[in-house]
Amino acid sequence: MEDLLKVSNLNTEFKSDYGSKPALNNISFNIKEGEVLALVGESGSGKTVTSLSIMGLLPNNASVENGEITLLSKKNKEINILNLSDEKHNEIRGNDISMVFQEPMTCLNPTMTVGEQILEVIIRHKKISKINAKKEMISLLELVEIPDPIQRSIEYPHQLSGGMRQRIMIAIALACSPKLIIADEPTSALDVTIQAQLLELLKKLKNSIVTKTSILFITHDLGIVKELADRVIVMYQGKIVEEGNVLDVFENPKHSYTNNLIQSLPEFKIEKRKQKKIIKKETNNKNIILSIKNLYKEFPVDKGIFKQSNESVKAVQNVSLNVRQNKILGLVGESGSGKSTLGKTIIKLIEPTSGKINFKNQDISNFNRQKMQNIRQKIQMIFQDPFASLNPRKNILDTLMEPILVHKLMKKNEATEYIKQIINDVGLPIESLIRFPHEFSGGQRQRIGIARALVLKPEFIIADEPVSALDVSIQAQVLNLLETIKETYNLTMIFISHDLSVIEYFCDEVAVMYLGHIVEMAPVNELFSNPKHSYTKALLSAVPKVKAKKTNKILIKGDIPSPINPPSGCVFRTRCPNPGIECKGGDIKMGLVEVEPNHWVDQCCAKLN
Amino acid sequence: MNFFLKKLLIVIPTLYIAWTVVFVTLNIIPGDPVNLMLGGRPASDEVRENVRKNLGLDKPVLERYGSFLVNATKGDLGKSYLTRQPVTKMIKENMMPTIELSIGGLIFGVFFGVLFGIFAGTKPNSIRDTISMIIALCGISLPSFWIGMMLIYIFGTTLGWVPIVGDGFVSLILPSISVGLFFAGGMARLTRSSLVDVLNQDYIRTARSKGISKYNIILKHSLRNAMIPPVTLLGIQFGLLITGAVITEEVFARPGLGQLLLQAILAKDIPLVQALVVYMTAVYIFLNLIVDFTYGIIDPRIRLERKN
Repeated sequence: MEDLLKVSNLNTEFKSDYGSKPALNNISFNIKEGEVLALVGESGSGKTVTSLSIMGLLPNNASVENGEITLLSKKNKEINILNLSDEKHNEIRGNDISMVFQEPMTCLNPTMTVGEQILEVIIRHKKISKINAKKEMISLLELVEIPDPIQRSIEYPHQLSGGMRQRIMIAIALACSPKLIIADEPTSALDVTIQAQLLELLKKLKNSIVTKTSILFITHDLGIVKELADRVIVMYQGKIVEEGNVLDVFENPKHSYTNNLIQSLPEFKIEKRKQKKIIKKETNNKNIILSIKNLYKEFPVDKGIFKQSNESVKAVQNVSLNVRQNKILGLVGESGSGKSTLGKTIIKLIEPTSGKINFKNQDISNFNRQKMQNIRQKIQMIFQDPFASLNPRKNILDTLMEPILVHKLMKKNEATEYIKQIINDVGLPIESLIRFPHEFSGGQRQRIGIARALVLKPEFIIADEPVSALDVSIQAQVLNLLETIKETYNLTMIFISHDLSVIEYFCDEVAVMYLGHIVEMAPVNELFSNPKHSYTKALLSAVPKVKAKKTNKILIKGDIPSPINPPSGCVFRTRCPNPGIECKGGDIKMGLVEVEPNHWVDQCCAKLN
Repeated sequence: MNFFLKKLLIVIPTLYIAWTVVFVTLNIIPGDPVNLMLGGRPASDEVRENVRKNLGLDKPVLERYGSFLVNATKGDLGKSYLTRQPVTKMIKENMMPTIELSIGGLIFGVFFGVLFGIFAGTKPNSIRDTISMIIALCGISLPSFWIGMMLIYIFGTTLGWVPIVGDGFVSLILPSISVGLFFAGGMARLTRSSLVDVLNQDYIRTARSKGISKYNIILKHSLRNAMIPPVTLLGIQFGLLITGAVITEEVFARPGLGQLLLQAILAKDIPLVQALVVYMTAVYIFLNLIVDFTYGIIDPRIRLERKN
């Protein structure tokens, strides 16, 4: 096949007042017609800069210094993109090359209907009448499998879910049947279940109508590369370090960086750990340190001054669970499943609606603020976004000192010594203490977040998506750190994550949440090898894995329903791949039953099996 | 619409509070309206009593407070102490010139404000941005009496292009520029910053990736999204104008509500001041309502929020 796009010796630089910084260093690669080429690497490796250089959409402070990008246009003419004026480039953008961006939430214009936004690109490049363009727009919406396309086309982006919006973006990209589609992390901001739906759609498109279209797929997720791409390019610090067929690269990586990248995937680390786990397994009968019984949290929906509100967001529904000393309980589920609310309700950052919370044999659910103060010293939280949760105007020493002084744990000079030891334990140099949060990288900030949780000598830590914002290799480092401090400080943990492989790697027990309910709970090996609930099965199969064999995926349809009006009967039945008639009935109540020792499943699914 | 109904219900208590505050303040501050009526001339106690009785000032404060409320519900806001005319009539007479001037200023301000805002905002930190913003800063900071006098001097006296006083549309041009320049300066700065922000949004990058021309990106994708802050300012400043631009009215010797209010305060003409304050409060509430309504037109997300 012919080369569609040739990039040779591309150098792109960022300029600032302090001089210029190279972002791309002599990049050369080709994309063939009809090929899916994956571009992988960590943040800052230059993947996005490459795509923006091709599109001619670099930010003002960046520019291509030298190099060549030639495109075989629709008229079979070779065009050097970099020599084009902005007007000429506009003829190509959206027509020969189109792009799908990462953030479906912010990538569509909030003041235009989604239909208008698709129409716009059709009319711009195809120069056809509005009526014909409208017909094309509707068939595009059908192509990307949007239900009820005529109604949807007159809706605004905020009325659609994230998955739907990304389908709209794909429709826009497909509108003029371009030669090349650049997809920049198109599924990274979405839940695994929605991601699986979109990947399925992309695969379908690739095999049917758009066979001649090439895709440049930018991602950090090696699992997706394996699933979708023909060829892969690995980038590191603005350079291409490895290039080859997907299978070759994964089975036999040539460059040490590629090897490290693959080895730091949780799915590879799990292998090594499993042996360790089996030896430890028998020490399971430790004391229960935290026990939750029938916990509910409902937020009333504000209807205004004159209306009495009957509706509520049912965020946590009848949750009961136990956490044993020195164990890590993983909470997993899609966004909107109530995991974070549950985490915050446990330490009463959010007041529970009803239910009991037992911490070390004290019922803390009725504790007032004064009494909670002492408990909060024992239960600490680690948050997802360490930058947003650190005060930008306080240096690290002050940030770490504050809780110690508030709780009157020790005197100031004593505390300074203690903080030095903690900062050493989380793997940061002592000098960090006089620095401010913006001077650190994402991984370092999360280490500070961990140190902040540790200074109060807690016994229990609730970690809410602590590694979700980090690159794979940094993720692995932070998880290792969490593991060591868990051992050295003798901690018990609840670990909240949407990432199943991280959960599998890190946790001892797992609870799967859906729409406020726990639908399945089991020790980690049991849950991952023998899932019983349809939702768990679907979640597990949705994760793209490097080592997975080609199996049929269990896809779940649509988006998570509104927690204001959850479905009657079994809450999962509207998306269940194989729902029974029994699930619908009004007499079905959500509730866990023990199907095997320590393996709890929601009774609806337990019955069906 | 539920949202606007709620807003309208707030009008009555707001007017009531505004009026009460004025009533209390004017009764607390020293100075007897009778003295001002007499213009400092010596008068016997009898004459003074007569004047007092005529104005209704002999009645206890609470009674005056109450009777105003009762009359106000009938649409009677009382008579001016100074001219003995119904205050509503006086306001009506002075309203038209003020509205004319406000609309003139509004048109000038919005047109040039948005124009300069787009000019500067589409190319931030460039020379044209700097120059536009310096002009905008001049518009805000130059005192309007000076601008008014300069306009009269240059275009009226020296060049003789436009008449300085008189009726009709042409005579409105210079005063409109005089009040509109301040308006335009604020609009330009706000439009610029809002546009710079919008042009950095992801959806603008999406539009560019579709091959949309620069012109359409600004017109179709950016302006509407950038308009919320300028519209807010528009409401506030139009409110300021429509309640009277005293200095411009003085410089161009125009009648208007600003002049009327100034005279009323100096004469301690309580009924007139009260009526004017009630009028101004009502105008502000009304303009706010329009601004709120415009938000909904601009941004469908706000519309949806209100429906729920």
